[in-house]
Amino acid sequence: VTNQDQARVLDALGDASRRAVLELVRTRERPVVEIARRLPISRPAVSQHLRILKEAGLVRDRRVGNRRLYGVDARGLAVLRSYLERYWDTALAAFARTADQEKGGRS
Amino acid sequence: MSEHVEPIRRSVTVRCAPDRAFEIFTERIDDWWPVETHSRAASEFDAEGVKVERIEFQRRVGGQILEHLSNGSTLPWAEVVAWDPPRRFVLAWRPHPRPQAPTEVEVTFTPADGGTLVSLEHRGWERLTEDVRELYQSYAGGWVSTLGRFAAAANEEA
Repeated sequence: VTNQDQARVLDALGDASRRAVLELVRTRERPVVEIARRLPISRPAVSQHLRILKEAGLVRDRRVGNRRLYGVDARGLAVLRSYLERYWDTALAAFARTADQEKGGRS
Repeated sequence: MSEHVEPIRRSVTVRCAPDRAFEIFTERIDDWWPVETHSRAASEFDAEGVKVERIEFQRRVGGQILEHLSNGSTLPWAEVVAWDPPRRFVLAWRPHPRPQAPTEVEVTFTPADGGTLVSLEHRGWERLTEDVRELYQSYAGGWVSTLGRFAAAANEEA
């Protein structure tokens, strides 16, 4: 997982419409037309949001007959994990700096 | 139906003894916790200029970790569910305003080479359901600006 992957997920989730799209495809796979019908956004806008979500690894698609269905992609989980790992790394590093100062003088 | 989700495990070794490390981690959390990136104020009130005054760690089972804000309010992060100084403590961790079940954070302090190995395990992701969306809503959703600024800071350092 690279910084760029993380930035993509953050950007993708930073938009309320995209979170709404993600919410819709969570329960089951859906085609673009159905997502557009359930949200106050146009079909081209839905397609654009899906493209960004897909690039971030949050949504995947597959072709079934002549339809393309969109669903949640578990790869996004790996990216979230790396955020949380870095989150705790930063906190623990700050703790260690304070704890080691405590000991005094040594480096 | 619920899948096991591997806990997040991180650790650090410090030069002081376990009792001192435990005290700094808990009683003195306000001395070191990086509130500028790791706080609810940073993620929820960023635009409103609300600042973190201090972090309070109530050292007992049933105690809370609280973020005290400049506007006089407090925001909870966690509740202490196990308290065993200076060896370990366990927190029910929910540093966001959403009602989902908390995850669990356990921190242990083990003597190591004249210092202390501090190990942190963040687990219980199954409680949020195995669904990726829930995880995002609880964490990436609630902490998105915190994480974003953290990623930016980390990138600057790299």
